[in-house]
Amino acid sequence: MAITCGLILASILLLAADKSPIEAISSIFRDAFTCSSFDRCNIFTTFALATPLMLTGLSAVVAFRSGIFSIGQEGQMMLGAIVAAYIGHWVPLPDNIHSIVISIGAIIVGGLYGWFAGWLKIRLGINEIISTIILSEIAILLLLYLVNFPMRGDRGATAYSPKIDETAMLKVFAPGSKFGTGFVIAVFAVILVYFYLWKSGKGYEQRMSGEAPRFAFFGGIKSEKAALRGMFISGGLAGLAGAIEVMGVHYRINQGFNLMNLGFDGLSVAILGLVHPLGVFIVGIFLAGIRMGAQLGLQFTLGIPRELGGTIIGFMILFVAAEKLFQKIFDIDLRSKFRRKKDA
Amino acid sequence: MKYILETKKISKYFESSNVQANDDVDIKLSKGEIHAVIGENGAGKTTLMNILYGLVSPDSGEIFIEGVEKEINHPNKAINLGIGMVHQHFKLVPSYSVAENITLGMEPRKNKFFLDKKEESKSVKELSNKMGLEIDPDSLIKNLSVGMQQRVEILKVLHRNAEILIFDEPTAVLTPQEVRELLKIVKSLAKKGKTILFITHKLGEVMEVADTVTVMRQGSVVGTKKVKDTNVNELASMMVGRDINFVRIGNPNKPGEVVLSVEDLMVLNEVGVEAVKGVSFEVRRNQIVGIAGVSGNGQNELVEAIVGMKNIEYGNLTFYGDNINKLNVGKRRDLGMAHIPEDRIETGLNMGANLEDNIVLTGYKTDQFSKFGFLLKKEMQKFSKDIIERFSVASAVPGEGVSMLSGGNMQKVVLGRELSGNPELVIANQPTRGLDVGSIEFVHKTLINNRDNGSAIILVSVELEEIFNLSDVVVVMFDGLISGIVKPEEVTLEEIGLLMAGQPIDEDKLIQYKEMGV
Repeated sequence: MAITCGLILASILLLAADKSPIEAISSIFRDAFTCSSFDRCNIFTTFALATPLMLTGLSAVVAFRSGIFSIGQEGQMMLGAIVAAYIGHWVPLPDNIHSIVISIGAIIVGGLYGWFAGWLKIRLGINEIISTIILSEIAILLLLYLVNFPMRGDRGATAYSPKIDETAMLKVFAPGSKFGTGFVIAVFAVILVYFYLWKSGKGYEQRMSGEAPRFAFFGGIKSEKAALRGMFISGGLAGLAGAIEVMGVHYRINQGFNLMNLGFDGLSVAILGLVHPLGVFIVGIFLAGIRMGAQLGLQFTLGIPRELGGTIIGFMILFVAAEKLFQKIFDIDLRSKFRRKKDA
Repeated sequence: MKYILETKKISKYFESSNVQANDDVDIKLSKGEIHAVIGENGAGKTTLMNILYGLVSPDSGEIFIEGVEKEINHPNKAINLGIGMVHQHFKLVPSYSVAENITLGMEPRKNKFFLDKKEESKSVKELSNKMGLEIDPDSLIKNLSVGMQQRVEILKVLHRNAEILIFDEPTAVLTPQEVRELLKIVKSLAKKGKTILFITHKLGEVMEVADTVTVMRQGSVVGTKKVKDTNVNELASMMVGRDINFVRIGNPNKPGEVVLSVEDLMVLNEVGVEAVKGVSFEVRRNQIVGIAGVSGNGQNELVEAIVGMKNIEYGNLTFYGDNINKLNVGKRRDLGMAHIPEDRIETGLNMGANLEDNIVLTGYKTDQFSKFGFLLKKEMQKFSKDIIERFSVASAVPGEGVSMLSGGNMQKVVLGRELSGNPELVIANQPTRGLDVGSIEFVHKTLINNRDNGSAIILVSVELEEIFNLSDVVVVMFDGLISGIVKPEEVTLEEIGLLMAGQPIDEDKLIQYKEMGV
């Protein structure tokens, strides 16, 4: 529904720009979700692009489900990336073990950063939106400092850290894309988060505290503990996203690492995916596809600026928000009708 | 004679709760009098005031101001007509000064654009002097006591030139000294020609301050009396007196061992005022202790302190001889406490979750529903079906949400969850509020069943009928204290009514809390 509305509005924009909307939109999908040959496969690139989106999206889902509107994925991701760049280059370890150690380190560091934002809210009552924005900013500046000074690789024009050891790099399945182990980890994370939230007792505690704090308190659930646990997991997932970006895509951190906005995009993914892990999986791939298609299809083939892809995503978020509103109105209407029927 | 305010046949029906809140209400106010409106909870007092203040529009009926019919469809209209409301919950900006709060929305200005702070402060000072309500216009609201804040509320209303002042349960939030102070203020305002409409359920205050009193019951006016022509006993029986359906259900068992003993308990409410001021009682196995009282006399705080949702300021809670003051909600539940909360929408249930998630709240950690930290979906579904059957929760479907259920069915879900584990102690707070007759009967039967199976039950209710029919012993609360412990078969309804209004009754009928099981 939201997606259709977004596409329709985008079509109007395209018409205004004197391009055929059908051609443009079909070119987005054609270039995002097709495969011409194994080593020139667009869909693999889409999957690779979707990997960090899915992880930061999951991070937002876990935080939202514990009742904390954390938007600190960006910063937690930066810390994960720093950990990866550091251990990847300065701590020599054997193959495989190297990437495992990096992942665990990034999860712990990102998790603690998330936990800290939760702690600020619960113990000191600091609004999580503000604290996570500031914490993100701090992490971004830290990364820029490290990249420019202590961890700078050489004296090139743009600052970047030295390339990580090959032992720390993630396997790539299809040559020519970055589609590899990272995607598998992300899919695995989707499944884990789903089981955690919906099938485990701890996840139950967290969902109840998030949805109905008074109900949880009444039932004897320790909401604060549940929320802090949620924030740790949330931060850990974002940290992992940062580590995978380093281990599987860039192999280093650089000056512009924060400009990709992958952390903030995770919020869009979580909201568009209706704050559900499976939704995050679908929307993550879909958004990556639109981005990919906008770049390849629109810009290269039709000469339409790729920002249009971003516009489409923006519209869709708007419509998802509106949809919730419609649902609410519809729901109330339905309920009062239902009641009237019963009275009659 | 011309009345400053008169209503004729005001009626209001609330479809959502199926309540006739006002039914042909006539009320007449003469200029300069203090007119009290009294009645139990749900008698329709607040609805009537909201209609007069333009917050609720009546279905039918007319309002006359100084003999002229007026339509009041918005609070602004009421204010223009000289009607002001002193709300029970103050509507003040804590970080603003007294003067800023009083003139908010009508600030004096210099050159049309700049605020004139001096003039603001001066006008407030003048007003407070004129009305005999002393206050420093420049102090900040957040630094004032509750009593002083109320004074600001009154001044705010006076500043808008109100001639008729509506006080909605003004003493509920005050300390005894502040109450005395307020009553003095009310009297002096009346002397200065203002007309006061005073809503309360405290008979003592009515006798002290009012000239005229109107008693409401179940949406209708029972009668209007001059205070000098009536007495507390008459008012109490007017308030509660009605045909009550007495179907006392006998208790086949003698009360057993003491399960919970409450000793000298003191609890604060959310604004830090003592709500429970030293309460002691006991409840035993096979016994229902009813806690009667007009709502807002400390019952909710008492319940929340017992179940662990509120901290105890002073006193002791003992469960089978062990002190449980320090245990949290979960630990107390593990001991076998069950709680049927007053508010089932936000507290008792999670409207956003499905039936299983709601039902498993108290048992998700037990072996029955979890294995290695994972929830056993099949067991949860089985249990849901079981509850649907045993508690005949019509229209509930496992896997679906609970928000579409009727109030009665929601309450059955709560009962099913709380009572199915054969709890040691059940605390039921207003368990039948808003339910239809059939559901009420079901709730009563369930509680009786649990009592006969050995549970100790604390039943808090503002419904006297319910208290009378179910309780083995009745504890009456007034103003945070126990005004009397009685056996329901030994007292009349009027006597309970007197205790509820804080008036004494025959000493011989009262029992000591240590004798509650005898």
